[in-house]
Amino acid sequence: MKLMMKSLIVLTGLAALSLSGCSDSAPSGPVSSLGPVTIKKYVAVGNSLTAGYQSAGLYQSAQIYSYPNLIAQQLAKAGASLGTFEQPLYSDPGTPDATGKASRYEIISLAGPVIGPKGLTAGQPINSGLARPFDNLGIPGIPLAGFMDTTGTYQSAPLGRDAILRWTSGPFPKSVYRQAVALNPDLLTFWLGANDVLGYATSGGVSPAAPTPAAVFTTLYTQALSSIKTSLPNAKVIVGNIPDVKAIPFFRTVGPAVAAKIGPLGVKLYYQKAGESGMATGQSSLTEANAPLLTLTGMTYAAYIGQPSGLWYKANKYPALPAGIDTTKPFGLHPQNPWPNALVLDADEQVICANAISAFNSTIASVANANGAAVVDFYSFFNTVSQKGLTLAGEAFTTTYVTGGLFSLDGVHPSSRGSGVVANEYIKVINAKYSTSIPLVDISQIPGIPAPLGKISELSGLPVLPADAFRDYQRMFGTTDLK
Amino acid sequence: MSGVVVLLILCSTLATAGGFQLNEHGARAMGMGGAFAARASDLSAIYFNPAGLAFQKGRQVYVGVTLIAPSSTFYGPDQLNTNQETKMKSQVFNPINVYGSYRITDDLIVGFGVNNPYGLGTEWPADWSGRFISTKVNLETFFFSPTVAYKVSDRFSLGVGMNYVTGKVTLKRVLSDPFDPHANVTVEATGSSIGWNAGALYKATDNLSIGASYRSEAKIDAEGTATFEPNRSVYPAGDISSSLTLPATAFVGVAYSPFKNLTLEVNYQYVGWSSYKELALTFKKDNSVSVSPKNYENTYIIRVGGEYDLGDWQLRAGYIYDRSPAPTQYVEPLLPDANKNEVSAGVGYRISKNVTLDLAYMFIKFDQRKAVGTEINFDGTYNSTANLFALNFGYSF
Repeated sequence: MKLMMKSLIVLTGLAALSLSGCSDSAPSGPVSSLGPVTIKKYVAVGNSLTAGYQSAGLYQSAQIYSYPNLIAQQLAKAGASLGTFEQPLYSDPGTPDATGKASRYEIISLAGPVIGPKGLTAGQPINSGLARPFDNLGIPGIPLAGFMDTTGTYQSAPLGRDAILRWTSGPFPKSVYRQAVALNPDLLTFWLGANDVLGYATSGGVSPAAPTPAAVFTTLYTQALSSIKTSLPNAKVIVGNIPDVKAIPFFRTVGPAVAAKIGPLGVKLYYQKAGESGMATGQSSLTEANAPLLTLTGMTYAAYIGQPSGLWYKANKYPALPAGIDTTKPFGLHPQNPWPNALVLDADEQVICANAISAFNSTIASVANANGAAVVDFYSFFNTVSQKGLTLAGEAFTTTYVTGGLFSLDGVHPSSRGSGVVANEYIKVINAKYSTSIPLVDISQIPGIPAPLGKISELSGLPVLPADAFRDYQRMFGTTDLK
Repeated sequence: MSGVVVLLILCSTLATAGGFQLNEHGARAMGMGGAFAARASDLSAIYFNPAGLAFQKGRQVYVGVTLIAPSSTFYGPDQLNTNQETKMKSQVFNPINVYGSYRITDDLIVGFGVNNPYGLGTEWPADWSGRFISTKVNLETFFFSPTVAYKVSDRFSLGVGMNYVTGKVTLKRVLSDPFDPHANVTVEATGSSIGWNAGALYKATDNLSIGASYRSEAKIDAEGTATFEPNRSVYPAGDISSSLTLPATAFVGVAYSPFKNLTLEVNYQYVGWSSYKELALTFKKDNSVSVSPKNYENTYIIRVGGEYDLGDWQLRAGYIYDRSPAPTQYVEPLLPDANKNEVSAGVGYRISKNVTLDLAYMFIKFDQRKAVGTEINFDGTYNSTANLFALNFGYSF
């Protein structure tokens, strides 16, 4: 019996050894490293997209997920010793609107759902006492022209700007450019230009009345990148190009909902074309190719389609109804009470946007190339995501408003997870250009959009937004009056 | 028999063959790499080849358990340009097998078996990068198999069985939705099905036998519930339905005794995994359907084994090559499948005239599996192994 047991043990041992001896070791995968480069200082230049502005406000719990802050964290994982990446944080619930209340939208209820500002007291700047410029120089609302500006235009209060550039004199005066150079970065991301077309687009082509002229854009962009190259000859510069405005939920939410409403009735939407203020000549079922795009700001008014409503004129404080308008006619379904010009990007305006973006992006490509900067092609990226969605670690993302997961509640700015996606597009380009191996942001670890819990009714139909919800948000684009 | 009842209740299983199939249903067969269809000379014939019952003693029971301790490590995901290591949580699974037989006439014998031919269980850390894919999955099936075998001649027999199949599946992951805090979703479903199996065994000479058997697929229509924690009204909590088709499988084997006391056997096993095209869940609250494509392919397993008989003692050894049914782009953490090489060793001991004891050990080495271009965009590398121990008692009346 002993012999037998011994035999068994030997036999079993041999069998196990024969295979366990070749147990796999860890596969030779990517090792996080900066490879041949040294990065000790990273500075991000940009607009609200760079600031971490989300859901119509600038607030700490979103700013910590700004793409520059995420990139800084990933750089550190790859061995960069950046120190603290300083951002102009604004305590929750964030920056104030014109009345002093926090402008940030929140999901107030999933019933409806109702989305908008909660009427909370605004937050405060947290670290405006920092004795040097911030590493994140993303300034909400700034157009390309703002980069070299030295007049202090983008230091004025709205949107938390006053807490960013701060000094009007001294070693770090006024300008974004001067502050960025003062920090002496060896990595600089530069993402400006979107506001040169976005204000025009989101105001339905009303205010401002045109995108920045292409020639002006080229001059400004050339000046910006060549100045950076002169002042920071050794800095690695990565620029982002301009996404297609049509890819964002701001233009993809209200139109389809209205189409679904009027389609079964066999009627078309009457809307004001560019320049029209009275009787409308535009007519659309909103389903044809090149159909007009209704803005997210029109969400409130979409609920009144077919009703004799003058809400638009009341909410925008028209002293008198424009000539030709009769608000006893069904709103949106009659040429005398049409869908307003400021809430629609018609086919002609879409062409103006497309031409501007195309010109801007070709400038960005050629000027970047001339100055040795790499380009992150956000135009192609977001168009692809808009068409095909994005699957990451089993999670499906789309550009659908609220439920798509990539965009915040204002329909223009990325959510925290969307910022992670943006950061990863930058990191991929940095890795490709500089032979670094910076790990990408793990989107699965970034929180979603805060939403209430508990027993509430279904999420269905178009969200309800208060008519004034977009006021502060429009200030960002220099939109002053939608009349 | 109360011990058996306890085993039945505790039982839980994990895939050790390709996909979520289990082929370890008796310590004797396991010791020989499961190459057993041409002999089927204990009551695990009810699984391997029911025709084998016809050549056995009339009244027997054969009862056992297999302990399965898998280990798996994921490196990645590649999409994040990282080689970060995540270890699957340790679990031990214990599929059981209980068989009994009764001879009615000299040529006709009936048997009954209970075992767990399909199962799987993986659990990953609750906060890992793949948490939107899976944090836990558990599948248990029970086959209740009344079987009859008929000895056509002294050299040829046929067997046929029916399988009453019950299945229970639990799936747990973090819900992919835009809201914070994220919800954990747990789906539990149970169902049953009927299948059949049949086999033939031919003893061509005194030292050569040939066997073949087939087990039908079994489609389980399952009903259950989905639980969301925390819950929001927008989630389809409540009743769900799903269906899972357990694949058909077939064995063809040849056993040969080159000299007295030594028997060698080779089996080819086919597994019809193309039945596993997708895992679809229908949420009854809103009739939404969640579909996870699997697109498994039909596959095979090669089994080689032998037994050396020393009278009261038998020594056994075996080797298995098990080809994975999972295409590269569908390899996922729910079931990090790979081609496998497996070795086994076992011993049998006759404790008394009526009582036998079988012990077996098996080591499974999964090929390093690189998941590339995955449907779920979660590429990486899986390293997996498993250790199995089996114990069976036999009693003949």
